[in-house]
Amino acid sequence: MLKHICSPTCTHGVSPEDEKDVKEGFKVARRSFLRDAMVASGTAVSASALSVSMAPSAFAASAKPGSGMTSHYYIPASANTVLWGYFSKSAKPVVTVESGDFVTIETLTHHANDDAERMVKGDAGAESVFHWDSQKKGVNRRGAGPMDAKVGAGGGQGVHICTGPVHIKGAEPGDILEVRIIDVTPRPSANPLYKGRAFGSNAAANWGFHYGDTLTEPKKREVVTIYEVDATGERNWARAVYNYKWTPQTDPFGVVHPTIDYPGVPVNHSTITKNDKILQNIRIPVRPHFGTMGVAPAEADMVTSIPPNYTGGNIDNWRIGKGATVYYPVAVTGAMFSVGDPHASQGDSELCGTAIECSLTGTFQLILHKKASLPGTPLAELNYPLLETQDDWVLHGFSYANYLAELGPDAQNAIYSKSSVDLALRDAYHKMRHFLMTTQRLGEDEAISLMSIAVDFGITQVVDGNWGVHAVVKKSIFPARGV
Amino acid sequence: MLNDLRRFSTSAFPEELRQSAWTEVLEKVLMGNGTPGHASPPLDGHVSSCSSALDSVFIKLSSSPQVLVPHASNAHRYGHAVLVLTLLSGSGLVIEGDETVAISSGDIIVLEPTRPWRIELNTDFRAVVVKLESASFVLRLVRTSKQNLNKISARTGVGAVCLNLIQSIADELDHLGRHELPPIEATLTELLVACLSHMDEDSAEDSTSVQLGHLRRVCRSMEARLGDPDLVIDDIGRLEGLSTRYIQKLFKVGSTTFSEYLKARRLERCRLDLANPALAHFTIAELCFRWGFNDAANFSRAFTARFKLSPKAYRAEPPKNLDAQQVLQRGRPTLGSVPPAGAREHARLTTQAKDHREESGDTRRYQFENLLSDHARYALALALTPKRAAPAAAPVTPTEPLPNHYYIPASDKTVHWGYFSRTLKPAISVKSGDILTIETLTQHASDDRERMIDGDPGAESVFHWTADRKGVDRRGAGPMDASIFGRGAGEGFGVHICTGPVYVQGAEPGDVLEIRILDILPRPSCSPKHHGKLFGSNAATWWGFQYKDLLTEPKEREVVTVYEIHDTAAQPHAKAVYNYRWTPQTDPFGVRHDTIDYPGVPVDEASIDKQYGVLSKAIVPIRPHFGVLAVAPKELGLVDSIPPGYFGGNLDNWRAGKGSKVYLPVSVDGALFSVGDPHASQGDSELCGTAIECSLTGVFQLVLHKKAQMAGTFLADLNYPFLETDDEWVLQGLSFPNHLAELGPNAQTQVYQKSSLEAAMRDAFRKARHYLMTAHQLTEDEAISLISVAVDFGITQVVDGNLGIHAVIRKAIFPDHDLAL
Repeated sequence: MLKHICSPTCTHGVSPEDEKDVKEGFKVARRSFLRDAMVASGTAVSASALSVSMAPSAFAASAKPGSGMTSHYYIPASANTVLWGYFSKSAKPVVTVESGDFVTIETLTHHANDDAERMVKGDAGAESVFHWDSQKKGVNRRGAGPMDAKVGAGGGQGVHICTGPVHIKGAEPGDILEVRIIDVTPRPSANPLYKGRAFGSNAAANWGFHYGDTLTEPKKREVVTIYEVDATGERNWARAVYNYKWTPQTDPFGVVHPTIDYPGVPVNHSTITKNDKILQNIRIPVRPHFGTMGVAPAEADMVTSIPPNYTGGNIDNWRIGKGATVYYPVAVTGAMFSVGDPHASQGDSELCGTAIECSLTGTFQLILHKKASLPGTPLAELNYPLLETQDDWVLHGFSYANYLAELGPDAQNAIYSKSSVDLALRDAYHKMRHFLMTTQRLGEDEAISLMSIAVDFGITQVVDGNWGVHAVVKKSIFPARGV
Repeated sequence: MLNDLRRFSTSAFPEELRQSAWTEVLEKVLMGNGTPGHASPPLDGHVSSCSSALDSVFIKLSSSPQVLVPHASNAHRYGHAVLVLTLLSGSGLVIEGDETVAISSGDIIVLEPTRPWRIELNTDFRAVVVKLESASFVLRLVRTSKQNLNKISARTGVGAVCLNLIQSIADELDHLGRHELPPIEATLTELLVACLSHMDEDSAEDSTSVQLGHLRRVCRSMEARLGDPDLVIDDIGRLEGLSTRYIQKLFKVGSTTFSEYLKARRLERCRLDLANPALAHFTIAELCFRWGFNDAANFSRAFTARFKLSPKAYRAEPPKNLDAQQVLQRGRPTLGSVPPAGAREHARLTTQAKDHREESGDTRRYQFENLLSDHARYALALALTPKRAAPAAAPVTPTEPLPNHYYIPASDKTVHWGYFSRTLKPAISVKSGDILTIETLTQHASDDRERMIDGDPGAESVFHWTADRKGVDRRGAGPMDASIFGRGAGEGFGVHICTGPVYVQGAEPGDVLEIRILDILPRPSCSPKHHGKLFGSNAATWWGFQYKDLLTEPKEREVVTVYEIHDTAAQPHAKAVYNYRWTPQTDPFGVRHDTIDYPGVPVDEASIDKQYGVLSKAIVPIRPHFGVLAVAPKELGLVDSIPPGYFGGNLDNWRAGKGSKVYLPVSVDGALFSVGDPHASQGDSELCGTAIECSLTGVFQLVLHKKAQMAGTFLADLNYPFLETDDEWVLQGLSFPNHLAELGPNAQTQVYQKSSLEAAMRDAFRKARHYLMTAHQLTEDEAISLISVAVDFGITQVVDGNLGIHAVIRKAIFPDHDLAL
């Protein structure tokens, strides 16, 4: 187990030069891996070729052990390394790691098919996941629903493509998993036409807060806006490319989708009207982050990826980006960490239903804190995801702190009609009070006074079923203490 | 409730889209807007709607004047429905063919959607419109009678019950579900049937509410002429265009006479003057002549008879509780024995059948008496409003075009405590572009008198409170006699000490006032022991979000934490000094305050237990700002300073600090800008009820944007507060964008009960969209996408009645943003 405790500037035992080497090494590994895969099966990449089950050593094993004790794994996104739309404690792990190991994980946005030209074409990993012809889908189950659902297998009850799960050796319920986000980079378009650029999609969808509350006709429309992000990372803002109104799409199995009711439906661009010259001269500062990240819940075997919960999941907080650390309570053996729903940028509230949904690759360090080591530490009573950024601690309140337990067997449906901002604020207040009283050893009166004068409560999202309000407290308030 | 779109305000829409949104709602009740006969102001309205499982529709409108007509095509499609329009306030005409019926507040009119009627509402109004489905029986009754007979007078009997029901439906509209409405609908239908079948009994008697309106006018007219010794009833009759006999009759119904009422009012004003130390240099004779008495001996007799003290004795030693209930009650016209409200209701219901006439007489008398006493109280409240003098200002040459710089110190003469009002006398009058340095005081200074008041003459004059006198008596918009809870004058319905108002020359309704906050300065302690140090107080109060949700005992406690502000250049911050639990405090007038229910109650050091060493390690970065920045609301009367509204007010957004600009829509001539509720720091949500409440002095520049100059810009359309900082634009969503208009006469009570964060979020979204579409000319789809990917929504406050959520738009998004406004 790793001894050193991270500070914001910590390089995790890797010097800056070494880190560069490491990253370069991964790029080479990935490229050569993909090339090999292509060679192996010709132009049609077989899903199995893209599986991490080929063993990490095959392409990225132990690339550069920083302290001499850790390994670094690479998990590409492919049909065999993702779960689409659900968390599962019983899914087969794509890799098993030790506490302290680094993992570089590719994630794909489930909105890539809104513009397959830009976001899927030529990208072997994305093609394997999004593959869908009249015979076969690259990933058939999308969501935790029934396999024979009308809209498609899994019913779209859960939409996010999550890479993983990663099994952490020795993790047991009651432990805490610390996930450090070392780096986040965009996934460049593999289409030569768009070299050097990356793209994302923002869908103003039927589950958005605005839906039905629009001024102009048609009132109940869904609009997809495609954004461009600089893949080199030099330009820190995104711009809009074009938008279009969703038209009924017929998927390759012949099912018509009048609204965005199932993830990954290929949009036939001959059916839509593109409007360019939109959002002209507007620069959206990027905030690359992972909307969905967490460990598997214990309550059910398959849990929809949409509502966030005590195990994390679809928190949709843009602060979960590079440099941030998230602590999750482990609920099942092995923790079963997975990550997806990559976003190039999002505003607090994610109002229209989605962010700039844009495939990203993240490098993470996973550190396990065993239950026995917790008493007396600030993590002792943690039963919710805690986010630490360079300057802040962020707690996430949800309308239902653990909706699976609170709402009973029908929780995964009931949650959509029961949420409110008021409830989420109540939960955020409870958690922040708990945090201040346990980790900072304040009395209740002290905690409450501090919350009123120095803690900012914001709306995380109002579109994920279990609505979120976050509480942000500056670390500098407590110069003498740390988590 | 995910998409509860049952409520909206037109202000959320760009001007050109308002009418269509409004029309859409009216169509639900088979109505449309007709063309007004004369020019009307732009549409400004709020609406809530609700549909029942049986397809009936209930809508509540509060709006500017407009004409309603049946919606031609829909009406025929749904010809089996009946429409019920209830006017809660305002007045107008219903016209059908050659028949015209006047309607006023409290009238219910039943309409058939297929007939070609027209409702002209000539004033701002609030109304409930119900489209009752399957009301065929009602419809038959409507068809068989003339239009004017379908007006139900809701003065008494079953009509009154009907009105009460409709009013309660209106109050609860936002909380009634589809499946809860059908039984209500059925009841309403039955009541309507009962009303309409009683029609023949009802005569063409004058409507009570019209008479009450006349009486109100008469009272107002008299109040303005109390000083005229020759005032007689004929004068008022002439002025108001009413016959002498009619006026006599009005007073008679109110169990008094014209001359009796006149005398009572004059004596009351004399009494106030006698108790006013500022008028000590006038003789008693001079004072009574001021109020229209022309014989001192006569006055003395009348005064003694009324107040049981001679004027001289009264002046020497006014009773301790100048405004105590008992005195005020004496000021009211003598009332007959008025049964308590519940008993009246009961009587009304039980006797209605057998003795219609007599019962109605009782109710009428009560209404008239009530109006007279209310009017007297209102006049008294106005008389007690602190009089202001223009403070010492820098030498001014009126023709000088350069901005002048004024200084407004905080003192009992320059503050109004706990309310806004268009009737306040300005502390100063300035021109657009002028700069003002304004001192503000925190109402929580009395939490630690030694640190925050002692030795500070301004604060001492405001907080002065001894057994015989309060520096500022009225604290809040409640009654001066504290007849509701007995907390003190104004009842603490509004708590903030606001300095001002500042009259801005040339400002008119429709303009926008830009308030630039140029600087914020601390107000150091004047007490010898703490000289030069800065202090603030944070109270975790009963209105906080935490109050009923505490872990440790005693539950439901209030805790005050006193902070010291270290204004160091490197890292300005606050540190807690000590805290204490609130203990019941008895104020100098002898009223006990078990909780923090009235502002500025001095805390007795001996009664509290100070805990030092709290939050000893916490260093809180400060964000000095003003919680309250307001212009006067357009509504009459006093407005509670706690719920923020379209006029700004208690926004409690810490972004309103140095360097920011606040834009407020002007509602009254001169704008009447006030500022208060200074905070050293606050978090988004102001969770426990207060921030670090800390007296501050602000330097402001007031810039007036005239309506004509703003045409075509975002500001032209602005009817909500808008905040701009160096890097951001901030749109302030409120649970009720305009609670005063939307909730009607009980707005100031109901806003505390009916707010929700969902509604505030909805409003913040609509305002952000409105801003992006008008200021940046985006289409709706562009605006919505941008909001989702780049606009941050945060919780401003959850403790001010009208809950707030703000939307923050970074200017960096628009590289050429200078064009924005």
